[in-house]
Amino acid sequence: MQYDLIARPSMTVAKMMLQAGETVTCEVGAMVAMSSGFQVETTSRSKGGAGGFRKGIKRMFSGESYFLNHFTATAPEQMLMVGPSMLGDIMHHSLSGGSLVVQGSSWLASSTGIEIDTTWQGLGKAFFSGESMFWVKCSGTGDLLINSFGAIHEIDVRGEHVVDTGHIVAFEDTLQFDIGKAGSSWIGSFLGGEGLVCKFKGQGKLYVQSHNPPSFGKLLGPKLRPR
Amino acid sequence: MDDHSIDDVVEAELVPENGGSASVGNPSNQAADASEPICGQTSQLTYEISQRPDFSVLKVDLAQGAKVYAEPSAMVSMSADMHLKAGFRGGVGRSLGRMLGGESLVVNTFTAQAGGGEILFAAGAAGDIAYKRLENSSLYLQRGAYMLNTEGIDLTGKWQGAKGFFSGEGLVLLKASGTGDLFFNSYGAILPIDVTGDFIVDTGYVVAFEDTLQYRVTVLPGLRTAGKVKSFFFGGEGLVCQFSGTGRVWVQTRQVSSFLAFANPYRPTKSN
Repeated sequence: MQYDLIARPSMTVAKMMLQAGETVTCEVGAMVAMSSGFQVETTSRSKGGAGGFRKGIKRMFSGESYFLNHFTATAPEQMLMVGPSMLGDIMHHSLSGGSLVVQGSSWLASSTGIEIDTTWQGLGKAFFSGESMFWVKCSGTGDLLINSFGAIHEIDVRGEHVVDTGHIVAFEDTLQFDIGKAGSSWIGSFLGGEGLVCKFKGQGKLYVQSHNPPSFGKLLGPKLRPR
Repeated sequence: MDDHSIDDVVEAELVPENGGSASVGNPSNQAADASEPICGQTSQLTYEISQRPDFSVLKVDLAQGAKVYAEPSAMVSMSADMHLKAGFRGGVGRSLGRMLGGESLVVNTFTAQAGGGEILFAAGAAGDIAYKRLENSSLYLQRGAYMLNTEGIDLTGKWQGAKGFFSGEGLVLLKASGTGDLFFNSYGAILPIDVTGDFIVDTGYVVAFEDTLQYRVTVLPGLRTAGKVKSFFFGGEGLVCQFSGTGRVWVQTRQVSSFLAFANPYRPTKSN
């Protein structure tokens, strides 16, 4: 996938150049602009992959739209520009056989060799706050574009690392994790505003975002007119 | 008031399936440097757009007697000897037209007094400012994108007929024509794209385009495979603006409406 990230880090869009026959799968609604030489197809599953309806339903529950848009170039040098809805950055991650677990609303686009699956509930079950704590597992070989709210910071975990749950963007599934309290006591953890944290162990890449959408929403909410 | 109504006749019909024509434009994008300042000088003013693209600020230097017309509330600061006058410009008809184009009825007129002066302008939301010099040409601006212009540019609101009606994103356009300098703004960064041939932009991301381009609002070609309208509705890309011809389109990289959709669930609920 040939791509270019423009207007980083807060107004970022990804400009991709596709050759004839090349396909990119995007989050529904992510398309900003494109050349006219594209065949656009909407499906409820990742292209070529199995799953169909049931996977689509699962994807809906994970905060991603039920349907996926597949853009296939029908002519050489076709440009496709995609962007997320919130202010923030986009990053590229290439997969070669492994898996990356992505926070529900952070998946933006991927090339055809990547299977998007929401059956992975390893982390989802562990949260009871229920706030966008759903996850999408991307596996296979190819390129992934992932967006964040705020800037993205990459951490190469060797050993242990602790992250506030609202700031996780994605992590390689070579990492094991534990959900726990930030401080030594539950009351202290919540009073300190950190709530739940995720303790990662092992070796692998971890991506965190500088801002946390629910925190921002809770900041705005009380200042808005009631619904 | 408007002599371009013929080629702007409503074209709300759906385009045929995209045959993937190879004559498709090869839009070059000069905005790989979206954070570079934009500056220059014309016969009417000297300008610099800095702090791009997140918090763009426009500085305008005016020689004595020069005028700019700006959207109310765009002014950040100005030299003390700048004369500011608020008022209706171009009579009631023009003002109503601007209102239709999503702009205020009132336009502020800044006139430089002896010795000239400078003014800083910024938009209401975080985002970018773009510049276009018109030389006996016309540009369409998306609702709310207008910021300021120099003398010699005429602004008219334009009823887009079914084109505007079908685009839920509010493709209500303001037409700027004449000879002079024009500045416009948007939420998100603004990327200029030079189109030759065909090009498609989601209606919610169009900031401005030259009138040398033909356009029509349609559904994303290909989403109607075998007449499945459902794929259009479920596809979520909504309506797109399909441009053809040769000219420049400016697209924004974020939409205010997406931000509002995010914030809405956090509003308190009425107690009763």
